[in-house]
Amino acid sequence: MMHPFPCQPADHLISRRRILGTMAGSAAGMGLGALGGIVQPAIGEELKKNDRQVLLVWLDGGMSQLESWDPKPNTQFGGPYRSIPTAIPGVHVSELFPRIAQQMDKLALVRSMKTEDANHSSGVPKIMRGHPKNRGVAYPFWGSAVSKLMGSTDSGMPPYVWVKPGDGGFISKYAGFLGAKYGALALGDGKPPTNLERPTTLSLEDDLARQELRELFNRRYAAQHRKASNEANSSVYDVARILMNHVDLFDESNLPVKDKERYGDHDLGRHTLLARRLIEAGVRFVQVSSIGWDTHGDNFNAHASRVPKVDQAVSALLEDMSDRGLTDNVLVVVMAEFGRTPRINGSVGRDHWPNAWSVAMSGAGIKEGVVVGETLADGTDVKTEPYDIGHMFHTWYHALGIDSKHAEFMNGTQPLPIAHDDFAPVKELLS
Amino acid sequence: MIRISVTALLIFGCLNLAHADEPLHARIDQLITQQANDVALAGRSNDAEFHRRIWLDLAGRIPTAAETRAFLSDASTGKRQRLIDERLESPEYARRMGELFHAVLMERRNVNEEWTRFLRTAFERNLPWDQMAQALIRADAEDADLRGAAFFLTARLVSEGAMAPVDIPGLTRDVGRLLAGVDLQCAQCHNHLTISDYEQQHFQGLHMIFENMQTRRDVKFPALSEKLMTQKKEYLSVFDQIPMQTALTIPGGSEVEIAVFEKGEEFARPPDTKTRTPGIPKFSPLGELASGLATADNELFCRNIANRLWFVMMGRGLVEPLDLQHSANPPTHPKLLDLLAHEFAAHDFNIRWFLRELALTETYQRTSHVKPDQTAPQVESYAVGLEKRLNAEQLFWSMLVATDELAYQASKPAEPPAPATTEETEAKAEEPEEPPREPLKLTDIEQVQAGSQELTELRELFLAAYANAAKEPEIEFNPSVKAALFLMHEEKVLTLLQRRSGNLVDRLSGIDDPSAIADELFTAILGRTPSDEDRKTVIDFLQMRTDQRTDAISQLAWAMLASTEFCVNH
Repeated sequence: MMHPFPCQPADHLISRRRILGTMAGSAAGMGLGALGGIVQPAIGEELKKNDRQVLLVWLDGGMSQLESWDPKPNTQFGGPYRSIPTAIPGVHVSELFPRIAQQMDKLALVRSMKTEDANHSSGVPKIMRGHPKNRGVAYPFWGSAVSKLMGSTDSGMPPYVWVKPGDGGFISKYAGFLGAKYGALALGDGKPPTNLERPTTLSLEDDLARQELRELFNRRYAAQHRKASNEANSSVYDVARILMNHVDLFDESNLPVKDKERYGDHDLGRHTLLARRLIEAGVRFVQVSSIGWDTHGDNFNAHASRVPKVDQAVSALLEDMSDRGLTDNVLVVVMAEFGRTPRINGSVGRDHWPNAWSVAMSGAGIKEGVVVGETLADGTDVKTEPYDIGHMFHTWYHALGIDSKHAEFMNGTQPLPIAHDDFAPVKELLS
Repeated sequence: MIRISVTALLIFGCLNLAHADEPLHARIDQLITQQANDVALAGRSNDAEFHRRIWLDLAGRIPTAAETRAFLSDASTGKRQRLIDERLESPEYARRMGELFHAVLMERRNVNEEWTRFLRTAFERNLPWDQMAQALIRADAEDADLRGAAFFLTARLVSEGAMAPVDIPGLTRDVGRLLAGVDLQCAQCHNHLTISDYEQQHFQGLHMIFENMQTRRDVKFPALSEKLMTQKKEYLSVFDQIPMQTALTIPGGSEVEIAVFEKGEEFARPPDTKTRTPGIPKFSPLGELASGLATADNELFCRNIANRLWFVMMGRGLVEPLDLQHSANPPTHPKLLDLLAHEFAAHDFNIRWFLRELALTETYQRTSHVKPDQTAPQVESYAVGLEKRLNAEQLFWSMLVATDELAYQASKPAEPPAPATTEETEAKAEEPEEPPREPLKLTDIEQVQAGSQELTELRELFLAAYANAAKEPEIEFNPSVKAALFLMHEEKVLTLLQRRSGNLVDRLSGIDDPSAIADELFTAILGRTPSDEDRKTVIDFLQMRTDQRTDAISQLAWAMLASTEFCVNH
């Protein structure tokens, strides 16, 4: 069934991309040389020892907090679903989250998110960039920022991999002033890129020889032209060659049937399972995107079919993180650009609501089994101290071992804080 | 912008600024120079740089080695202008523009023979843009060469499966974006939240035109019919739920009153139930849109096409994004866009003339070279030539030209045409008699491709590797791992670099002098002569591999084809 509302997430994704593409283009055009956007060297050194990773589950369009993390049953705007107890005594989540309820003691939940932007097209970049103070530059999205700050792990895998519905490719538009090479390798529908394997007619030696020549010609071209095109073009070849060493990631036939069942036989399940394997293969930052959450119409049926998929995939992921000893190193975050309105509109939908929503996280030193913040009884606003995405970025950077109050990007000669100057980590979230 | 432009039109119109003594290209350069202030403008491109750029922009492929040599050795004056004129008059111009406008207007949806014929014919005849745009909105089904223009709308009237029914709001959006440079999508259910120029009425008044039409089923070619429109459109804003009404509304124009006729008098040609031929209403909303939008009086229309053609040639729009013209998003060079829009309209939307003027500017001919110690100036200053993305078609043809694949294909015996299957024969028999049409005139390289199954398949692979996903506009240079792996590993690509009679690798394998090989490689693939260090690289590489010279030549050629220099227009 097509969505009755025209502002669909997929369309916003396109316009968002184009707007960002323009910004990235102009940032690149502002004369960032090969060394543009480099992080201060001292910090880079410090971080090299760090093997922390991030797995972001992004619910594009905005999952309703009321049908998931912060239910308000039997209230004016509560909707039809009940709430159920969880592994944290006294804390309830929606009945659409039965498995996550059992895993709540592994999670930290923030229920008092209050952010600024109710538009997809501008709200997504704000959240993805941690909404730092405006300094007239295009900040990178989180995955690009982490790629820059922490680089690849020792695995040499591309630092930023994005498992998404639709087409894949190398998506450099979200890297902002950091430049194209900090873009994401997007695995469209979780599939491996075609032509991943070197044909038998081409020997390894010959391949290396021609690649060296290509790099030499590119260096000569880059010495006489703007850097951006060659950086983008060269980086896709670098990534291609590293990925060739990880063909096995895309072979699902070796996966235990039980894993496939636990994560769920749907896009989000398959993509989250692949994300776990990418984390295990050493990717620094893995993002999984689920689209279609913009439920302006028929919110409750839509959530009845969608939320259980999140429940299944995320609970399986949390189990594995803990069973495989990944919890200490891997920060898992589940979020969207905003939540949804308590008020139910004329199409039995919920609209965009940045005023009071929830974000969940786990691992890498995030305190387990805590719920931070509270919303009003009818869910219309936060009741306790409001938290901005800037607070979360400070918290997450802290969990990743980065001193976000002092670390800076260097945009040419311009130092830029990596997170909003006015905020700090939320102590209750850190163990 | 919509409302503003209506007022602006009353005062200015598109035509009023359209006389001055100097040619347009000189006035463009003056405006660019004025606004650059103290930013140093780069010098002219060298001949090789310019030559390759013109071929890619106007012929959609790189020049052959012979073409490059002839241009570089031509010492006469005026050779740049001559090259521009020759390219604009060549049959390859129509092929290139057809491919370009197909990508721009269809955004990688479908291909259709009638549509291709429309584009090709239009550019062969240099059909003015206003007439092309009118055909896109309301094609003349009686004109066998141009009727395929209807595919612009009919291709958007198809369901893409149960999950994606016909998307008429998306069609409305595309017409606004592509023909008027306004993306009204977020004004469907309410006035645009962040762009005050875009109102819900603009969307709804345009949308009702497309809700009123349908794809004709009585003919095989793309065609539309319209129902009778007798009433205004009623709509609500999702915010205040107050009932509103609008008549049909032209982007950049005004509301058009709906003409209602007596019963029995509504049709210019009544429907024929026997032949299932739909009627033609006297009041045609599509006709109103075509005449109200695609005209010199419509400022949005004029500015949109001027901005898009500027983007094609210069690598950046004066308004970006290309489809967000509105008063809060002014052009980087406001006077320049005014000038371009007005002059283009005043010259009867003559695309060839307009591209020629753009190509003649110093702005277009500026080098893209940035000195190693120099900070590149802001892209919107146009102080240094901008690199442009090559689309899949440009890359495909260029790859064939560079590797001399065309020479190989021409030298081998022709493949027998595939016999028609029984099904095709039967289908043909059922079709109603059509007056015979001239077959499309193919350019030489197209004929070679059409005659080769191998190349026809390869073309599809290039499109899959390099084109954006359907419905995603192709704007920036966006290299992908997919395309890198394609060029690295796809057997059909690597075949181009195997030694086959008459192709580049074959030809160079027969040359002893490594320095001559360097010359050939750089001229054939990169359209220039090698620098001293380039030459040394080739000589050294061949020296190391004397026992595998053919392989070595093939590796050198591959590295050049995969290089950034090859895959952008710089």
